[in-house]
Amino acid sequence: MTHRKRTLRELATGLGFLLPNILGFLTFTTIPLVFSMVLAFSNWDLKRHNMFKEESISFLGIDNFIRLFSEPDFWQYLGNTLFFMMNIPFAIGGSLLAAILLSKDLDGGSRRAGLWLFASAVMVASLLMLIVVGMGSTGMTILICGLASMFLVGGTLGRTSVYRTLFYLPHFTAGVATFILWKKLYNPYTGPINQALRPMFDKVTNVVVSTPTPMIQAGFWAAIAIAMGLLFLGLRKMANQWRDGDLGSTAMVVPTIFLLLPAAVSFYNGWLPTQTASFVIGISAVCLLVWHLFGMASSGQEFPCKKSNGFGSAAMLALAFMVLQFILIGLGLTAYHLPVNAAVDGGLQPPFWLTSVHWAKPAIMMMGLWGAIGSNNMLLYLAALTNVPGDLYEAADIDGASRFQKFWNVTWPQLAPTTFFIVVMSMIHGLQGGFEMARTMTQGGPAGATTTLSYFIYTEGFETGRLGYSSAVAWTLFAMVFTITMFNWKFGNRYVND
Amino acid sequence: MSTTKTYRPGLGRKFYSSAMLHVVLTLMSLGLALPFAWMLLTSFKPLVEVQSDSWIPVRWQPSNYIEVFNVIPFAKFYWNSLFVASWVTFLQVMTSSLAAFSFSRLQWPGRDKVFALYLCTMMLPGLVMMIPNFQIMISLELVDTYTGLILPAAFSAFGTFLLRQFMLTIPASLDESAQIDGASKWRLYWDIILPLARPGLITLTIFTFMGNYNSFFWPLVMIKSVEKYTLPVGLLFFDSSRGQSTHLLMAAVAMSVIPMILLFLLLQKQLVKGIQMGAVKG
Repeated sequence: MTHRKRTLRELATGLGFLLPNILGFLTFTTIPLVFSMVLAFSNWDLKRHNMFKEESISFLGIDNFIRLFSEPDFWQYLGNTLFFMMNIPFAIGGSLLAAILLSKDLDGGSRRAGLWLFASAVMVASLLMLIVVGMGSTGMTILICGLASMFLVGGTLGRTSVYRTLFYLPHFTAGVATFILWKKLYNPYTGPINQALRPMFDKVTNVVVSTPTPMIQAGFWAAIAIAMGLLFLGLRKMANQWRDGDLGSTAMVVPTIFLLLPAAVSFYNGWLPTQTASFVIGISAVCLLVWHLFGMASSGQEFPCKKSNGFGSAAMLALAFMVLQFILIGLGLTAYHLPVNAAVDGGLQPPFWLTSVHWAKPAIMMMGLWGAIGSNNMLLYLAALTNVPGDLYEAADIDGASRFQKFWNVTWPQLAPTTFFIVVMSMIHGLQGGFEMARTMTQGGPAGATTTLSYFIYTEGFETGRLGYSSAVAWTLFAMVFTITMFNWKFGNRYVND
Repeated sequence: MSTTKTYRPGLGRKFYSSAMLHVVLTLMSLGLALPFAWMLLTSFKPLVEVQSDSWIPVRWQPSNYIEVFNVIPFAKFYWNSLFVASWVTFLQVMTSSLAAFSFSRLQWPGRDKVFALYLCTMMLPGLVMMIPNFQIMISLELVDTYTGLILPAAFSAFGTFLLRQFMLTIPASLDESAQIDGASKWRLYWDIILPLARPGLITLTIFTFMGNYNSFFWPLVMIKSVEKYTLPVGLLFFDSSRGQSTHLLMAAVAMSVIPMILLFLLLQKQLVKGIQMGAVKG
């Protein structure tokens, strides 16, 4: 009896402390959650069901979802969201690079004054080169030199923390204010980006016009060849990982799809001169891979391909290779069409960024990179780098490993758990992202090119007033986030414990 | 890597490599800082120079910063943001620390199950709850009020989680000695645990304050009258109503970014630690 009494008292105290939080939790999380679930299956539309028009709300079952999946707009917006997520490998790579640079010894053996002199000499030389290449006015030059020397002095005095702060600021201040700033930077007529690009484009036009067409179009084939090389490299890397048992057969599916996507997409979309090219790439990459696998199989080795340890890094690598392939194909196509475009009146023009269907997404992604290099990911990598045991590097030194080998064989595997965590978190954020940029910079346009799922939910739920339909989109988004989280639980823990 | 030791007389390889490192880092910082430089310089330009190629104003016009306050109720936006963010932060730290205390220092049946439930809600996309929450606000008649902005943000599973992690690091022997001294649970919470969890409280305070200072979605849908706009919504309103006066807009942007920069410079140690701790344990 006393035992039960004590338990009851404990429960009362425990819940008493929890009370304020749990009240809010129930009102603003649990009830809305149930409410939203119900909404997703209803046809509640503020245009039809409001205080003036009292139509009754009816339940449609899964009609909302059926309509959603049969609507091409939804697929476009989902595609946009995924397109924006192609930023992730570069954002993570940038943070890792920043973290590695910041974790290095910046002291130079206690000769700070000499260090500063030497560094500033190099700096001045490199800036002079910039000026020779053709930077505009003297005012600008003084400005750039002034800023650079300020950072350099700060860096030599305060070392890591000064640079870390400078890297971190774009991420820390990211919000409506910086989006508006970038909107002005991207302005096609008055923005500083195009003001800087315009003279360069004029020079390029002159060069292109005076060069024979086949020579420029050879650039297209060069780009395609490099893209093919990348595809093969990626596939071979994965085959090797599979052989070493770092990558299970199932875990290989997603990276392989990433790698093959550019060829498939350019083939499917019929980007005309590439049609044959993508076909050639695909076939030859598969042939090379089969040949490679055959070589491995005939060596009579056993393949312990059960684990999926390497999934994080393989997916990252495959994603990066995929985007690089896309970029190369894009460059190739640009080169292919260059002579025709340059011959037009007025020559080549810099892109219209946010107002152009093709450039709006890349523009927002570049802004994203600006904020992502010095992000929380950089801080996480910094913390993880200090935890890499030093004797691993010593052992690598004894083996005579080069800098790159040390990174690839010591640092990168040691950082794997951190990378995995960051990849998962970035994917979860990426799926839900894009609302603020779309609302402040482009209104989701042009032609829906920057509308992500979250902005779609906003316009449906708060502008059009189709609450039921909007909730259905929100739950679809939730299902995707949930899949990634489940994936994280299934692979993440085991991976981290290894 | 501090473990690789190279003993060389004079300016060794190490000297040159760290000098080069400084150069690379400075150039990277320069690239990242250029947008801010353009923002500041443009905010000092008169209107006629806004479209010129040169970044540096020919005639400096610091009065832009005063003009902003005349063109839009910028002081009011500032105040609204500070007011809402402060209240949210205060309430969230209070409720989260109480809940975290209950989850970390008290024993009661079903505790860990309830906590697991809390953790699960952390992965819910906030978007799923926005529409129903807005309907709740309509039925409570809280649309276009400060209360409506503050209340839903005052409870957070993340804050509870973060503070619980901090409180778990405080040794359990303190609880026992407090119990022997006959202190109540409230005394234990208020006099012993809270002061010891101060680093955690500071971290959560900064996170919550910054998050709310920047929060955009909820104020955007909740607030209808201009004089209740918070800074982000106010800036958007400024951009859409008078977007042509870039110089004033940039002054406004600078004024909303600079407090954040200052706050970061003051508190960066706690922030960095908090981010690293929150994620490593998660």
